[in-house]
Amino acid sequence: MIRVGIIGCGKVADKHVSQILRVRDCEIVGVCDQEELMAGQLAERFGIRQRFSDAQDLLRTCRPDVVHITTPPQSHYKLAKECLDAGSHIYVEKPFTLTSQEAEELIDNALKGGRKVTVGNETQFMPVARDMRRLIQEGYLGGAPVLMESFYCYDFSDERYAKALLGDKSHWIRRLPGGLLQNIISHGIGKIAEYLQDENVTVLARGFTSRFLERIGETGMIDELRVMILDSHQTTAYFTFSSQISPALHQFRVLGPKNSLIADHEHQTLIRLPKQTYRSYLNQFVPPFEDAKQHFANGCRNIGRFLRNEFHAESGIHFLIRAFYQSIIRDTPLPIPYRDILLTSRIMDEIFSQIRRNNIGSGNTMPSHMM
Amino acid sequence: MPISDLAAGESGRKEFLATPEETILVTGASGFVGSRVVATLLSYGFKRVRCLTRTATNLGPTENTVKEFSRNSVELVQGNLLSPETCKIAAEGVSVIYHLAAGVEKSYAGCVLNSVVTTRNLLDAAIKEKRLKRFVNISSIAVYSNENIPRGGLLDESCEVDTKLIERHEPYTYGKAKQDEIVLAYAKKYDLPYVIVRPSVVFGPGKAKITDRVGTDTFGAFLHLGGSNRIPLTYVDNCAEAIVLAGLRKGIEGQVFNVFDDDLPKSREFLRQYKSHVRRFLSIPIPYPAWFFLCYLWEKYSKWSEGQLPPVFNRRTCSVYWKGNRYSNRKARELLGWNPRVRMNEALLSYFAYVREVKGHK
Repeated sequence: MIRVGIIGCGKVADKHVSQILRVRDCEIVGVCDQEELMAGQLAERFGIRQRFSDAQDLLRTCRPDVVHITTPPQSHYKLAKECLDAGSHIYVEKPFTLTSQEAEELIDNALKGGRKVTVGNETQFMPVARDMRRLIQEGYLGGAPVLMESFYCYDFSDERYAKALLGDKSHWIRRLPGGLLQNIISHGIGKIAEYLQDENVTVLARGFTSRFLERIGETGMIDELRVMILDSHQTTAYFTFSSQISPALHQFRVLGPKNSLIADHEHQTLIRLPKQTYRSYLNQFVPPFEDAKQHFANGCRNIGRFLRNEFHAESGIHFLIRAFYQSIIRDTPLPIPYRDILLTSRIMDEIFSQIRRNNIGSGNTMPSHMM
Repeated sequence: MPISDLAAGESGRKEFLATPEETILVTGASGFVGSRVVATLLSYGFKRVRCLTRTATNLGPTENTVKEFSRNSVELVQGNLLSPETCKIAAEGVSVIYHLAAGVEKSYAGCVLNSVVTTRNLLDAAIKEKRLKRFVNISSIAVYSNENIPRGGLLDESCEVDTKLIERHEPYTYGKAKQDEIVLAYAKKYDLPYVIVRPSVVFGPGKAKITDRVGTDTFGAFLHLGGSNRIPLTYVDNCAEAIVLAGLRKGIEGQVFNVFDDDLPKSREFLRQYKSHVRRFLSIPIPYPAWFFLCYLWEKYSKWSEGQLPPVFNRRTCSVYWKGNRYSNRKARELLGWNPRVRMNEALLSYFAYVREVKGHK
């Protein structure tokens, strides 16, 4: 029986608790939040016996095997370190830490103490991402990826989110070194990091404030990002974050030397782009029907998964939690290798560093003509 | 604003516990109801209305109304009740607090944070204020349980608050009930003079959505679920006046007031008028027993599937929203001296005109 503790009882904690409760042979032994009312509501709703307002009390009293850290990112490093020191394995919500140096220290700490660490990049474990990973491992691309393209967008017309963030000048997201981007882009960058051939990467990043935010006076917030990443094996990746693209894309394309793949995380569809040509006009007649067949098959697969009760909105986090716990119990490889966590952190460091450099003297805003 | 023959006339004012010169705090002052509360206070002649807003630097929908009165009567304080410092500034020297700010998010955490934690912070500041004469807590009629009330039975202030709110899967209502609990706890511990106001469904210009008590379009087509139920409505200006009076009338400490207008329309009638005045659309009537059974199946599936479909449709919610009850505003009329000034017909026409304008129909 794995004993689990939760530190941070905000919105994200709900996702963790509801999915942990679906994992066999584990028990949530305590929850903790600096704000006792928040710890109280989580404990009451999920029937968790012990609640704390101090992390040390939770660690001392409950001695959890695993702690899920679901606080704002500013506190991840300190809390993660305390948990590791107390002998717990840790699942840290994304973004892992504020800097890659903190990430390295934590992983170093975990390795020395024989503890395990993972990060909440759960979109990498949604059904479509797992299907894509399996095909790539089976060699569908015909070699290493040549090019990747990751779109991770956010829709600011979602009034609730926009109100919470834009209306609250002291929101913790605003205080992150990378601002809004830091809280969101690790999902998209993490996918790229997984398939890069090595860690020796060159990053070119440009960030700017959208016209939309400029119009409403939010000139200090960068909500548009374009990144190019190149490793020493010439694998290239483009990453786009945008609050203005409609529809808000969550797509990941991996283009190989033989075949390619497009994963749409919004619709949970995986489209194969096989190297196949037909003669003459057939090349324009047949492929659209083959595409239609693939989309139809994706629809059927999704319905099948739903009917088999495998299509939960939070199936990514559920899979990741289960895989992480299995890794702890059986000492098997981690679902997210440390190499990927560190590479994602380093790429993000570099992105924010370049944005800061490029935006010095421009009132935080990168003029569009400089792109 | 049709508040001309005010309850706050000379004779009415004598019954008030605060004079127009005293400072009144309104939280959530730029919101749908809060902005009308501010306008009503000004129309009553209050000269020091402190408006706490989280985002805006003006009072949104009633900015023009406010301008009609002396701008000097309004003090804008921008801040977040999650900050104890903001609470301290907002509560300093006030005689009456109208606490309308609330979390309306979809998540439990968001609702608890923005309804309960904020209320606790405000109460912490309020109990230190020597001049405070009343804390008016705005709750909701959704917190009641009608489990033990038969179809068509009366729902009033004596009914029990739902103790199984978690089963309803309604973060907003959960937050509101917890907010009430914390107000009651402070009242007991610190002898806080309080009144709780539980408005029914507040409607009017500024909010276009048809209340779920009439039906839902969650599944594409509009399912008419209200049937011949009376819809518990209160027009925004009427509601605002009830709230204002709850903060001013003497001798009502510790009371709870539900706010319903007169002549509540049946759901069927509401929908017919909506279609006639706003736009025509297909609605599918679902009888209550059939909908209750569907909610039962949904609830069971949700449990079996461990939440693949969240339990948003369940028997408790079904009962609260669509079982059908009678409602009374007798207590508010008698103890507050409240009289819904805008008649239901007039209120509905005003609402339909707004929706027509917003949606660009007709």
